[in-house]
Amino acid sequence: MPLQFSHVVPVSCTLLCSTRPSAGRLTEAMLSLLVLTATVLLAAAPQSEAIVIYTGWEKHALVGSDVRLSCSFFSWRWTSEEVTFSWSYRPDGAKDSISIFHYTGGAPYVDNKGPFRDRLEFVGNPARRDGSILIRNLDFNDNGTFTCDVKNPPDIVGRPSSVRLLVFEQVPIQAGVITGAIIGVVLGLLILVVAIYYLMRFLVARRVFSLSMSKHGRKGKGKEGSQQKQASVLVDPSKQKAAASEKKKQESRREKK
Amino acid sequence: MLFKLVGQKFHLVFTSSSKSMLKALSGICFLHLTTIFFLFWATIDDAWWFTRSMYTDLWGRWVMEENDDVWVYMDIPTSYRKGEYYLQAVQGFAVLACIFAVLSLCVFIFQLFTLGKGQRFTMSGVMQLLSCFCIMVALSVYTDHFHRKENGWYGWSYIMAWIGWLLALLTGGIYIILRKRVD
Repeated sequence: MPLQFSHVVPVSCTLLCSTRPSAGRLTEAMLSLLVLTATVLLAAAPQSEAIVIYTGWEKHALVGSDVRLSCSFFSWRWTSEEVTFSWSYRPDGAKDSISIFHYTGGAPYVDNKGPFRDRLEFVGNPARRDGSILIRNLDFNDNGTFTCDVKNPPDIVGRPSSVRLLVFEQVPIQAGVITGAIIGVVLGLLILVVAIYYLMRFLVARRVFSLSMSKHGRKGKGKEGSQQKQASVLVDPSKQKAAASEKKKQESRREKK
Repeated sequence: MLFKLVGQKFHLVFTSSSKSMLKALSGICFLHLTTIFFLFWATIDDAWWFTRSMYTDLWGRWVMEENDDVWVYMDIPTSYRKGEYYLQAVQGFAVLACIFAVLSLCVFIFQLFTLGKGQRFTMSGVMQLLSCFCIMVALSVYTDHFHRKENGWYGWSYIMAWIGWLLALLTGGIYIILRKRVD
């Protein structure tokens, strides 16, 4: 009799499908759902893009020095040729900001009328997504907030990022550095002293141990000697301890009286 | 096994003239805990210097706003006569005093079980005296460098730091003199 399909199917089902003969259909459905969601997400991604701009948070600088304000961005699109960088400045306490730098059409335009004329320089690299500027010879009047705004067509939706410039006569030590240093040094010294103390004790004990070993080694003869050595090794430290505690007991008893 | 050993040692400590021993032990522990309490409060609470509308120091400043009802927490101004370095030193030593007091308690409890009979609690005494020294340094720097020409008065945290100093000195001395009773 030729092998009928009805004989083969149950065998294969027991090997692969066991108790659920519809498992194959379930996995198929799941896979198709996964592919569908992936395509939907990928299709939706370009529409939810936004440009992300990074600058520092705060910048500390000394009077008379130069400071580099860095501005970088992340965009899902390639850096286009019409990318624009613009920096604006708002002094501390003022409400309005003025524009001090603009890069467009491949050329930088620096401030030539405002508070930073002849002091501003463009040191960024637009191809590498860097729009940093350099301000020379800082003064106390330069305290304020600098805002960087980048547009990378067609990716133009984004939030400008600000960095705060603080000009000091003398750069102060940050809060807590001295506190932490004092605590760390003193605790470190303590640990060092304790470690040295225990190390000394250990070395002294070892020295005593090795001395007693050599003593008994010379006295004993062959097997006897080695046996005595072992016994004395076991007895000696405990003898020492017992002797010490006996002494102290006697001392304290005398003192009590 | 460990609990058995610990129990045996505790037994030895306490059966030998147990009542007076227990009283002494609890008294010393209470004093030590009081020291730790005072030192911690003095370090944490910002009440070293008071004026009518402000209390300040060590970590921040509470200033009373115009309404007479609102207290605002502010940073201590950095133009404190180059005080930010000295203030950080005071902070560091106050925290160290707290750390040493706690360490001394741990060492005391450890030595209670491991010390041989008739020996002194030197390690805990030394640590407690170190804590006393640290808080003394902090208080001296603070008293000498801050608020010399201002109108105001010292607050409760400052006084508690001094009391903590005294107690630390006392308990440190007790630990150095105390011996583990033999009977």
